[in-house]
Amino acid sequence: MTGLWQSLVGKMMPSPGGIDCAEVMAQLYEYIDGELDDEKIERIRGHLEKCQRCYPRYNFEAAFLRFLKQQGRTKAPPELQRKIFKAILEEESRG
Amino acid sequence: MSRQPASKREHFEREALVHLDTLYNVALRLTGNASDAEDLVQDTVTKAYRSWDKYEPGTNCRAWLVTILRNTFINQFRRESRRPSKVEFEAVQEINVFEAIKDRDPEGTFFRFIVDEEVKRAIQDLPEEFRLPVVLSDVEGLSYAEIAEILDLPVGTVKSRLFRGRRRLQQRLYDYALEMGYIRS
Ligand SMILES: [Zn+2]
Repeated sequence: MTGLWQSLVGKMMPSPGGIDCAEVMAQLYEYIDGELDDEKIERIRGHLEKCQRCYPRYNFEAAFLRFLKQQGRTKAPPELQRKIFKAILEEESRG
Repeated sequence: MSRQPASKREHFEREALVHLDTLYNVALRLTGNASDAEDLVQDTVTKAYRSWDKYEPGTNCRAWLVTILRNTFINQFRRESRRPSKVEFEAVQEINVFEAIKDRDPEGTFFRFIVDEEVKRAIQDLPEEFRLPVVLSDVEGLSYAEIAEILDLPVGTVKSRLFRGRRRLQQRLYDYALEMGYIRS
């Protein structure tokens, strides 16, 4: 009885984008990382636009990854660059 | 008038040395200090130059270089890289930071208050299994397939280590932000 009711509700209110929340959550990082095919991307994007449960989570994870990208990197010291160019020149002259 | 064909060195400088920052960053995360990182990068670049004929033009030079760097690291710093972090990573309980914070700071604005040095420390403290996938993906922007190639692991394993590494890192930064009062508890 409950199963029948759920399947009826399911038909009346299909998951946004034709994909359910659990599936979106499972693939959230792959979605943000650009690792999915176009069709999957479209479905997840469609879901996120309409789903009030998944969108905030997506927003948070995307903010976290943007933050990491901005913060985590260091430039190679100029002294190391000089040493390396010099080492390669020496390698070259050695033949 | 025909142009002089680029020498091996010129070609190497143009194709490979543009990735010096990547090599340095990965080396820094692997060794944990600037002086070892510089040595590791120098050894890597010299090796790469010597085996430059083995590099296939048009393929992924950055992944090729990072692979050499990683192998060099494993050979030279073997003892450190065999730290028994496996046990440690089963023991830590992973919480879901978003669930913990969604009523207070759903946009994750607290991240912006965390200083650069703390982020670097937090990445450095991840067990190596997680640290490299996180650095290669989230700092250097490599794809899962590139990381799998470099680490010689199946893509599925890369994914699960990356995701767990991110959760760990998030949790650590969240704890720090709580401690510093960037999030009201
Ligand atoms: Zn949803």
